[in-house]
This record gives sequence, C-alpha cells and structure tokens, in this order.
Amino acid sequence: MLKMQSIRKSYRTDTIETHALRDFSLAVDEGEFVSVTGPSGSGKTTFLNIAGLLETPTSGQYLLDDEDVGNLNDRDRSRMRNEKIGFIFQGFNLIPDLSLFDNIDVPLRYRGLKGRERKKRIEKALEQVGLSARAKHLPAQLSGGQQQRVAIARALAGEPRFLLADEPTGNLDSLMARQVMELLEFINEWGTTIVMVTHDPDLARRAHRNIQIVDGQVADLQHGAASATAEIA
Amino acid sequence: MIGYYISLAMRSLRGTPILSALMVAAIAVGVGASMTTLTLNYMMSRNALADKDDVLFAVQLDNWDPHKAFHNPSEMPWQLTYKDAIDLLRSDIPSHQVAMHRWGGPIALEGSELRPYTVEARVTSRDFFALFDIPFIHGGTWPHAADNNSAYQIVLSQRTNEKLFGGENSVGRTVNFNGAPFTVVGVIEDWQPSPKVHDLNNGDFLESAEVFLPFGLHRALEIYPWGNTNGWKSEDINSYEDQLGSEYVWIQYWAQLDTPEQMERYRDYLTGFIRERKAQGRFPRPLKFGLSNPSEWLALNEVVDGDDRMLSWLSLAFLLVCLVNAVALLLAKFLRKAPEAGVRRALGASGRSIFSQHLVESGCIGFAGGLIGILMTLVGLALIRQLAMGHMDTVASMNWLMMLSAIGLAILSSLLAGLYPAWRISRTNPSIYLKTQ
Ligand SMILES: Nc1ncnc2c1ncn2[C@@H]1O[C@H](COP(=O)(O)OP(=O)(O)OP(=O)(O)O)[C@@H](O)[C@H]1O
Ligand SMILES: [Mg+2]
Repeated sequence: MLKMQSIRKSYRTDTIETHALRDFSLAVDEGEFVSVTGPSGSGKTTFLNIAGLLETPTSGQYLLDDEDVGNLNDRDRSRMRNEKIGFIFQGFNLIPDLSLFDNIDVPLRYRGLKGRERKKRIEKALEQVGLSARAKHLPAQLSGGQQQRVAIARALAGEPRFLLADEPTGNLDSLMARQVMELLEFINEWGTTIVMVTHDPDLARRAHRNIQIVDGQVADLQHGAASATAEIA
Repeated sequence: MIGYYISLAMRSLRGTPILSALMVAAIAVGVGASMTTLTLNYMMSRNALADKDDVLFAVQLDNWDPHKAFHNPSEMPWQLTYKDAIDLLRSDIPSHQVAMHRWGGPIALEGSELRPYTVEARVTSRDFFALFDIPFIHGGTWPHAADNNSAYQIVLSQRTNEKLFGGENSVGRTVNFNGAPFTVVGVIEDWQPSPKVHDLNNGDFLESAEVFLPFGLHRALEIYPWGNTNGWKSEDINSYEDQLGSEYVWIQYWAQLDTPEQMERYRDYLTGFIRERKAQGRFPRPLKFGLSNPSEWLALNEVVDGDDRMLSWLSLAFLLVCLVNAVALLLAKFLRKAPEAGVRRALGASGRSIFSQHLVESGCIGFAGGLIGILMTLVGLALIRQLAMGHMDTVASMNWLMMLSAIGLAILSSLLAGLYPAWRISRTNPSIYLKTQ
C-alpha cells in the first residue's frame, strides 16, 4: 500500500543543509503493523510527514495505493490525506477550544459529510475509545491518556486505511501507554495499516515488523548496523 | 462549508474578546469616518433631475457690466431680469419653460383652528410641474392666462394639503396666503430635490416650496423675491414698475428642449434675442448665453467643492490607516493559532480551505465593524446637522444605499485586511507545528 523508492529529503537554511532522509526505500503492505525506531534526529518524523503527505520529498518516488503522489497538487494531496490517512501525535494535538465532539468532527467536515452521518461516526469513534460520556468536554479536562484516545478516535472517525503514529505513547506513563498500544493493536486487527514511531523497545517488538532508521536511511537489521548514530551533514 | 467557517470564526472571536474588539473598533472607526464624508459628498452631488439631463437646460443671458464679468465660473449671472424672462416666455420653441423665483409668507385657512404659519413659496410660470415631472394628486396647474394676468390661484404640496385640509381633495377651496384669498387648483406630491438643483441661488440644501403661485401676480401683489437679487448698474428704482424694468437679475429660468433641432432653433432664437436687445442699448458685453443641463448646472454651481472632495480623500486615507492596524492585529491573532491550522492540515484541510476559514473570520470582523461603523456614521452626520443648524438636514442623512455601502465597505476592507494574514497562515508548513504542542 505504501512504497517509497530512493526518497531524499533535505532542509536547507542559509548556512547548512540537513539531509533528514537519504536514499530511503521502504514498502509497507496492507494490514501491516510496522514499528519504527531509531536515534533522535535520524529522520523518523520526517519519514512519517512524507508518508502522510504533509511534506514533499526533495527527490525520489512515493506511491500510495499505487498512485504517484509526487504529481498531486495541494488540494488532491489534502483530499487523499483526509480520506486515507489518520495521524496520531506525541503531543495529542487536540484543538484546545473545541469539545471532544467537535475535535473528532474536524476531519469529517473536510470530508464534506452530512450532519447526521458525522454525528453517527463521531459517536461510534468515541465509543470505541471508551469516552462516550465526555463528548462535551474540552481536551484540557481530560488526562493525557484520555486525550490520546480522543486523538485516536479523531484519526479513526474518517475510517482511514492507514494510521501514522509519531510516538503516541511518548507522553504517557506505562499503564496508559499499554492501553493505547492495545487500542492500536485492536484497530490493526480490524484491518487498518499502522506505522508507529516509538522509542520503547517493548512496544516496538509487539509490532509485526520493526524497522530502524539511522542517519536518514533504513538500517539493515540483519547486519547489525543499528548502532550507528545520527549525524548532521 | 461557509457555515462551518462562520461558526469557527465566532468561536475564535469569542475566544479573544479584547483583540476582537480592537479589530472591530479599527474597522468601525475607519468606516465611520469615511462613510460620514462619503455620505455628505454623495448626497450633495446627487442630481435629482439626472433622468432629464438630456432635455432640461438652465438658461443664462449675459446682461452684465461691460467692465466686469459676473463673478462665477460661467462669467454670466445665474439669473435673468424680469423683463427678459417675460419676453423669453413668449417663445414657442421649448416644449416647456419656467420662469420663477423664491417667495414666502404666512398661510392660513379661514375659520380654522390652525394658527397662520409661514411657508416657502415659489412664484412660477405654469409649466413648472410639467417641466420637472411633478405629479399631481388632485387638480392641476393654472391656465396659461395666469402667467400674464393676476389670478389668485394656488397649488399646494401634499404636506401643506395634509396640514390645512387633513389630506382631502382641496381643489376649489380657498386658502389665505400673505393676506389674500387664493383658490386651490391643485395638490402635488411632495417634491424635495436635494440639492435643490432647480434653484441653487437660495441655499443648496434648504427645503423646497410648500405652495406655488402664478407668475402673473407680480404687479397685483408687488412681489419682491425671497433670495438673491443682483445688479451692476446704478438705477433709480422709485416704483415697483421700476423694479420690473431694471437690470436686476432675480428670475430663474429653465427650458425643456427635447430634440437637437429644438436646441438648434433655441440657440438661434437666443442669439437673435440678445442682438435685438443690444440694438436697444442693453447687453453691453460680448454676446453670450448659457444652456446647462442639470449635471452641468450642479457642477457650475460648485455644489460639491474641492474642499469637500479633499475631505473624502483624507477620510479614505484614514480608513487605510485603520486597515493597516487591522492587518497587524489579524496577523498576530492568526499566527498565534498556527498550530491549530497545522492540525487541520494534517486532518485533511487544504491550504485553500485554511485560507477561506481565516478570510471568513476577517469578514465577520468586518461585518461587525460595518454595523458599528453605521452607528458612528449616524452620530457623525447628526453632529454635522447640529453644527450646520438646519442647512444640511437633507444631505446629512443616510439612505439605505449608503447603509449597504457602509457594510460593503467594511466587509471589503476587512477582507482586504485579512488577505495577507490568511495567506500567510495557509502557507505555513503544518509539520512545524505538529512536533509538540
Ligand atoms: N523543518 C526543518 N528544518 C530544518 N531541519 C529539519 C527540519 N525538520 C527536521 N529537520 C532535521 O532533520 C533531521 C531529522 O529530523 P526528524 O524530526 O525526522 O528526527 P526524528 O527521528 O523524528 O527525531 P526524534 O526522535 O528526536 O523525534 C534532524 O536533523 C532535524 O534537525
Ligand atoms: Mg520525531
């Protein structure tokens, strides 16, 4: 479902050029649960942003569902993001002055769904994460774990086939982290493809497959290159 | 989607009440100031006779001092002498023509409780109503004979008829004007062009006449006009007959010329008219006459002068300053909410929909600013009316068109103000704001 070929991403400022990804190639199949690990600054978030169509690679080819997304304009990329991709962030990123209900409503609005259909989906998503009773609450009124569950509900409400999670448990204690992980595994069992960046080796092991990014490239686990450290070019 | 954007805008504005109030105030003050001057200018330059611009002409004849032209842009007196007006009325070339001047006096009703009160009057030849297209509610104008012989007939405005007769058909009834009994022959719909394009000699924006009297009454009543009389020659005026025969100008004259041929003939006629009088020793200046349509007449009379226009530009410049302020405030507000825009992008909003969302928010601010701006305009105009003490009542007021323009101006301004901030926020890279919160 996801196929990246020789992706390069570099950030250029006035004085330095940073190669966040270089010669990065990866394929993820439908239904997989892939965990991504690697040292800080190695390019994990950059990879997720490109996979989620939030950023464009400097060069290389990215096929999502066999479609070359390099040729799409902003509107089409946004529509694809809205329909196929769900995001979960380390910082939850709920909109603080919207209720849980309205937060989950956001992607459905951009989908252009009718009011009744949106309500149905929002209620179902809240139920899935066990927060039906809190629909009217503001994010600040919830614990971190609950907020992350709302963020997951928001990512799920649009029924994406592809869920991208960037350290979803990074800000949570181990109990909460386990609950979120169980939720993600449950979602994956129902068919959603998941790519999750994590620093937690235990969680990483629970995925079908673990890939390690080192210095902007997928490290070859078989050959023990995992010890390489990030470096800025 | 626009409904969603509006509800988001409302929520966002409520979330930062002070900042929102400042932005609304910036727009409101700018709109208030510019709409006050624009309304004045618009109302002052309105041409109530615009639809007759092709056929109506104010007539000027240069009977002035050989050594010194009349002091106005046309270098001809605004008005005519009585004797020339009487002679011009004999021409059969114009479809309609009017000789007239302002007058006034007390009006009363015999045997009525109503105390006599003073009204503005217009002494005019009978075609006045036809020439200016003023519809009659009852009756009609007086017969042709009344333009030359004294006939005590009177036409009332609707308002006067309302006051004296409670709005009944008063044709045939008698009213007392200036101490003499007059028979009512007609009642017209109220006619209050502002500016008073038909008579710009006597207060551009004062109220028009309430009663109309035949031009043939001059000798019988020895009418001296209310309003401007100008002269250049020292003449012995010992009797009313001397006044009528003098070179004093005090009669306004309009002719309706429907076709180019009529126009051509009338020009020839006026040329001959002046030549004839030159032969009699009058009209000592080079032969010159004027035929100005209502628009030209308003411009010639400088109803809206350079200062008024300058003021409009100044107030628009002030609006611009207010807008620059609004831009700065909007930019600050939008950029503070950039993380939210980043989340929305991640959830599928296109750059364009982020742009629209923020532009709608600016528009809402503009709408609120427009409403308050209208209030400010109304206050500004009330102040002007106060200061002008009655001279500006008809122009220092807003009609629906001006109110709509105020809202339009406010929304347009706020959209302009929001354009750059909205564009900035829609172009920021969402991933920057998604790393942490
Ligand atoms: N917008 C940017 N401008 C310049 N450099 C950037 C930008 N975003 C990322 N980088 C650089 O690209 C490299 C990869 O960053 P990335 O955020 O992908 O790392 P990461 O693997 O997610 O790290 P962490 O585990 O700390 O989140 C880093 O060296 C970072 O400094
Ligand atoms: Mg990261």
